[in-house]
Amino acid sequence: MRNKLKVLRAERDWTQADLAAALDVTRQTVNAIEKGKYDPSLPLAFKIGRLFEMPIEQIFFSGAEEA
Amino acid sequence: MSGNRQSSTNLNTRINQSSRSLFLCTTAWVVTTAVLGFGPKLWWDFDITLTLIALVLNLIAGIIMLMANFRHLMSMDELQKQTHLEAMAITLGVTFIATVTYGSLESVGILEDTQPTNILFVTGVSYIVAVIVLWRRRTSE
Repeated sequence: MRNKLKVLRAERDWTQADLAAALDVTRQTVNAIEKGKYDPSLPLAFKIGRLFEMPIEQIFFSGAEEA
Repeated sequence: MSGNRQSSTNLNTRINQSSRSLFLCTTAWVVTTAVLGFGPKLWWDFDITLTLIALVLNLIAGIIMLMANFRHLMSMDELQKQTHLEAMAITLGVTFIATVTYGSLESVGILEDTQPTNILFVTGVSYIVAVIVLWRRRTSE
């Protein structure tokens, strides 16, 4: 699964540590999600959606879909 | 994001607290195991009542350590949790294979005196290696 977490984070001028703090996860987890090495759980995906005030399907999408 | 820094502190605080608790519970278990192992011979001359008390205390400490380990796992964030659970799955498989292989070394006459506790080293090393490899694979920059 791909995502545009890095873009959304950069738009807000947040570091990975800032985002990790907001989501109550480690910075390594944010990094792994951004790089597509780890797909977050549904609760964490919803938490990310709430934080960026966007539906999760606008943040996460399958590899075949366009960003 | 200042309010969000609080959340990270919560995660770190949670992990630190559960780590401290796990350390204390593990220490208690090691101490009770030592008492059970050496007590009968060195301190109370194989008195059955005292040995049974030591045995029960050791079992209780073991159960408390198990619960502390579970709480520690639950205090982690989801990637850490998944990494540890996968490492546990690998360790279970490695331990199973190592136990069967090590056990058959005695029955085929290669080893004369196999000690089941030796398998604990395989379990420990396997778990540590699995956690490091899985974590590095997912979090490498």
